[in-house]
Amino acid sequence: MNLRKYFTLIKAGILDFLQFRLGTFVIIVGNMIYLIVIYNLWKAIYASVDTPTVNGMTFEETMIYLVLASSMFSFMECFLVWEMGRSIQDGNITLALLKPMGYAKYQYFSLAGNLVASFFLTFIPTFIVIEIITNGAIRPGINLLFFLFSVILGTTINFAVDFFVGTICIYTESIWGINIMKEVIVMFLSGATVPLAFFPKTLRSIVDFLPFQAIYHTPLTILTDSTLTIPAMLSMLGMQCIWVVVTLLIGNLFWHFSIRAITVNGG
Amino acid sequence: MKTLSLPYYAHIYKMILIQDIKSKMSYRADFFISTIGMIFTNLSSLAAFYITFLNFPSVMGWSYHEMLFLYGFSLLALTPLQCLFDNNWSLRNFVYRGDFIKYCFRPINTYFYFISEVFDLKGLGQGAFGLVTLIYAWNKLQLPVTFLIIVQLLLALTTASLFMIAIMNFAAATCFYIINSGYVMVTANKFRDYAKYPITIFEPFFRFIFTFIIPIAFIAYYPSLLFLRTNNIPLLTWLSPLIGVVFFYLSYLFWMHGARNYTGTGS
Repeated sequence: MNLRKYFTLIKAGILDFLQFRLGTFVIIVGNMIYLIVIYNLWKAIYASVDTPTVNGMTFEETMIYLVLASSMFSFMECFLVWEMGRSIQDGNITLALLKPMGYAKYQYFSLAGNLVASFFLTFIPTFIVIEIITNGAIRPGINLLFFLFSVILGTTINFAVDFFVGTICIYTESIWGINIMKEVIVMFLSGATVPLAFFPKTLRSIVDFLPFQAIYHTPLTILTDSTLTIPAMLSMLGMQCIWVVVTLLIGNLFWHFSIRAITVNGG
Repeated sequence: MKTLSLPYYAHIYKMILIQDIKSKMSYRADFFISTIGMIFTNLSSLAAFYITFLNFPSVMGWSYHEMLFLYGFSLLALTPLQCLFDNNWSLRNFVYRGDFIKYCFRPINTYFYFISEVFDLKGLGQGAFGLVTLIYAWNKLQLPVTFLIIVQLLLALTTASLFMIAIMNFAAATCFYIINSGYVMVTANKFRDYAKYPITIFEPFFRFIFTFIIPIAFIAYYPSLLFLRTNNIPLLTWLSPLIGVVFFYLSYLFWMHGARNYTGTGS
């Protein structure tokens, strides 16, 4: 198997990301303001109850969870739905289809470079800042290794969901509407807006049967919950693997079914 | 001069608007999907509120229904931005591709002509959602309804809407000065989500920032005090209409300065 083509795509993605340094700076400032807002909000929320823990989460744990979730969200954000939707509308999709590589695979490895770069530029700094501020609340150890695997699996599930939603754009011109629905559903059901621990029981049990919690919640739990044993972490990774297979399979089936229906104007 | 009169502009606005709505109506499916997407966004914010308040009784002395009031108010105050000023999102594409030059050759105000070109229908869905939320909260809080209060509410909403419009004007106009400024818009756009929180949750320093630098506190918090804290209304609440007009005018000047120095792309 020739791996060079994959590395070339990843490298191009990294260079593409670094091209827009000003954009990165603005994103960092935006994220900092976001963090200030949610920090103050949750501090105020916790200040209004007498107990230090609510649903087994202290203020500090809630903050770490939300901060890391938001930074994971921004590093995983790859605008794939927009990219696919636009190229379906302007016809550039035909060029991508002619490439000697499956479309999903091509997109996945093109995005991988971007993801690697933004992982180091947004997630790692956030993580380090949290470690410094909280005096090492997250104990580094074997969980970091599991976390890394879990992030890769989570990113893949996120990609598969995006790819599935992007495929819907073959049937409609409404990229904005489709994308915002996806974003809201993923954010909410993955626990990035409100930690899953706060969800009422019935809602929680429904969420556990959906793939979205495997995107952010699983890696974050592995990273932050120091009581997890290695077998427990392995079984969580196993669940993620199942979700990777299921979501990629569904995404690919849907794509291959839909691509026959594609209509490109002119060109 | 005829071209400067207000009725003349109103007439032109109506003509352009009708054309835009006609063309939008040929994509009915897009309208429905976008509206559903908009409602999804708001439903998820509402669900996040609800889940948070299942676990916590209040935030800094603000009850669940008072927070809902702020939320509904902010949604309504953001509706004019969403409906009438949405073309700012395309500004950077027009500037980048050189098509912006067409706006400079019209014998009417450039900003006016550019902004009037698009009416975003999906904003109406958000407005309706905000109205229902506000009425529900109003009812639960048993606030009085008199003619004077309704007039105050309408005035407060109108002037509050100017703040976010101005912020987006500033953000959009950055594309006249820097290339690939899409991130500025995306970052600035996130500020609208923070408008729904009472400013008292922040430390004095950030209260100052969110009042005078990024004035999102005027979108919902300060005007809402007029109805929620009737016996303790700060001066800023009374001044907010004036500040809104000034801030909007400044953003207009910044926008126009960029437009006047626009040199085109040479193509």
